[in-house]
Amino acid sequence: MGNGVTKMTEAIKFNLPVFVVIAPLFIAIVLPVFARRIRLAEGMVIFVGVLGLAGALFLAHIVLDRNSGTWIYQMGGWPAPWGIELTVGNLAASFLLVVMGVSLPVSLFAVGNLTHEVGGKQRTARFYTLFLLLVGALAGMALTNDIFNTYVLVEVATLSCCGLVSSRRHPRAAEAAFTYLMLATLGSALVLCGIGFIYTITGHLNMGFASQALNEIWQTKRHVVWMAMSLVFVGFAVKSALFPLHVWLPDAHSSAPSPASAILSGLAIKGYMICLLKFFYSVFGPGLIKEFAMDRLLVLAGMIAIIAGSVMAIPQDDLKRRLAFSTVGQAGYIFLGFGLMNKDGLAGALFYLASHAVIKSTLFLSAGAMISATKKRKISELAGVGRRMPVTMAAFTAASLGLIGIPLFSGFIGKWYLITGSIEAGSFLPTVVIIAGSVLCATYLFPVIRVAWFESAPKEPQKAAAQETGDAAVQRETAEVQEGPVQHGQLKDPGILQKLALVLLTVAIIVLGTVPGPLLELAKRAAAELLVLR
Amino acid sequence: MRILLEKLIVNYPYFFAVILFVIGVLTVLTRSNLFKKLLGINIMESAVFILFIAAGNIRGGTDPILDTSKPEAVYINPLPSALMLTGIVVSVSVTAFALSLIIRLYREYGTADARQIAQMRNSALKAADQAGRDNYRHPDRSNGKRGDKNDRSNQI
Repeated sequence: MGNGVTKMTEAIKFNLPVFVVIAPLFIAIVLPVFARRIRLAEGMVIFVGVLGLAGALFLAHIVLDRNSGTWIYQMGGWPAPWGIELTVGNLAASFLLVVMGVSLPVSLFAVGNLTHEVGGKQRTARFYTLFLLLVGALAGMALTNDIFNTYVLVEVATLSCCGLVSSRRHPRAAEAAFTYLMLATLGSALVLCGIGFIYTITGHLNMGFASQALNEIWQTKRHVVWMAMSLVFVGFAVKSALFPLHVWLPDAHSSAPSPASAILSGLAIKGYMICLLKFFYSVFGPGLIKEFAMDRLLVLAGMIAIIAGSVMAIPQDDLKRRLAFSTVGQAGYIFLGFGLMNKDGLAGALFYLASHAVIKSTLFLSAGAMISATKKRKISELAGVGRRMPVTMAAFTAASLGLIGIPLFSGFIGKWYLITGSIEAGSFLPTVVIIAGSVLCATYLFPVIRVAWFESAPKEPQKAAAQETGDAAVQRETAEVQEGPVQHGQLKDPGILQKLALVLLTVAIIVLGTVPGPLLELAKRAAAELLVLR
Repeated sequence: MRILLEKLIVNYPYFFAVILFVIGVLTVLTRSNLFKKLLGINIMESAVFILFIAAGNIRGGTDPILDTSKPEAVYINPLPSALMLTGIVVSVSVTAFALSLIIRLYREYGTADARQIAQMRNSALKAADQAGRDNYRHPDRSNGKRGDKNDRSNQI
């Protein structure tokens, strides 16, 4: 009996990279069956989240232990040029840890809190299906070593993202989802074109083999390589909302249900960034990036995004919209780090990616808790919320400090490495922009904190407003609000699970900021690995 | 110049793929009708499929089924076609999902034109701003134009 159990654990351990990807996808497909027993479905979601986190921690442990070399897993036992490979390297392990570490608290937050935002048990079950599909696809993006497989996972993620946006029962959400779907499909068609060019000139879909072949023949096929690189860059830039191509993001991320906003802003766009990183560094290689000046393009685009995204966030009065624009700005830091082409810059970008994933999910979740308690989306109307909902607002404050980059919070370490990286690269403009971005970030986040903690709550503003205007629709709307379950007078923190999720994420922000140890180590090693010239 | 033209004529499928791709992208970005946008997406994706399949073709090659009686036969590369099967599946699901969203938008707003929808939404937002709140359903639903159908929107 004991022998059988050890054999089983051995088998699970051996196949762990596949299980981490397949488990969420499998449960996602099974979940609609349990739509009527929503508690059971929610339990399954959390169970998969816990399993995924355990698997990610175990894989990270193995990678950290192994010191060098990546664990290559061959799907179905087929060797490389024919079969699909999963690689468990430093990059994959760190991103997998981020995906699982963020998606578990987000699903904890969603449990029991979703029905009013999505409407109906059936729709809630569908929401979880899409959620798990997204998590599985992101885990796959972290692990896969095959460029066409990356495309398929990108499409799975895109469709489930659009589904998550449209899951809110609001016409605005459907409109945002349609725009998102169109632009995201445009992006993936561009990426697919790029993949087609790579395959045409190299004859390989495996990243390692394609990279080898590219570096042998690129001088004779200069234009094709250049074209493929640009297509892949623009495609993933659309999907991860690099500044001029961000138009879909504010609408999509602000009109999704709050847990969906958290995972879309926190994880989904990061998945596409990791794909871009893999294409640029593992397929084309650092030599070709320098040859075609893509590094300078990335730094320039990143700098513009930091300034433009942050400046656009300032005038937004809708809380979730302000956070969505802030995501556009923060994405700039990561692109900037990708373009610095040195160890510190790249490690900083990877760490910043992890830290922003945690911080932005905390911000969106606490904003969602405030919005669902007060039924108001505007920052100016949130006066006095801090004293009524201390836990939520404390999480929001900690996350804001982290995003600004105050020492002891996780954003600081990422920004520190980005700054040392840009000084090492010999250009001081990025340094100035990174610091200016922090100041702008404080400009758009501190007003929220000030209004929520230090201003006193107004007295019954809605009734008066509705009586002044004779608009029937508005009166009906106001009536709906007053019938709502929570009156302004009874404002309090959300339920125990939601509080637990917020506390977990806040603890993660502070832990990453004080003892970054293992994750930073993984990021540094990944950076060193990616920068090796082939 | 002549070499370039010759290359273009020899590789004509790629040329047509690029033209189709540009037509598709332009349709998506410039048309305001949601159906036309969706058609643009489909044209664009077809262009990518043509690109892949042209890349897999070998002139004078036969189907990639092993025929021992003809040892000198040249087979075309079946892998790009197989990849494009996956691509077509993705394209179909995108189309289905986009159509369902268009239906939902049409029931809500009574039109499938992106510009008109944006106008209605903006005027609604303005009305909401005057009333001091904006988190509410669209007022167009109460103006009676398509009121009978709009009330079903919750069930979609």
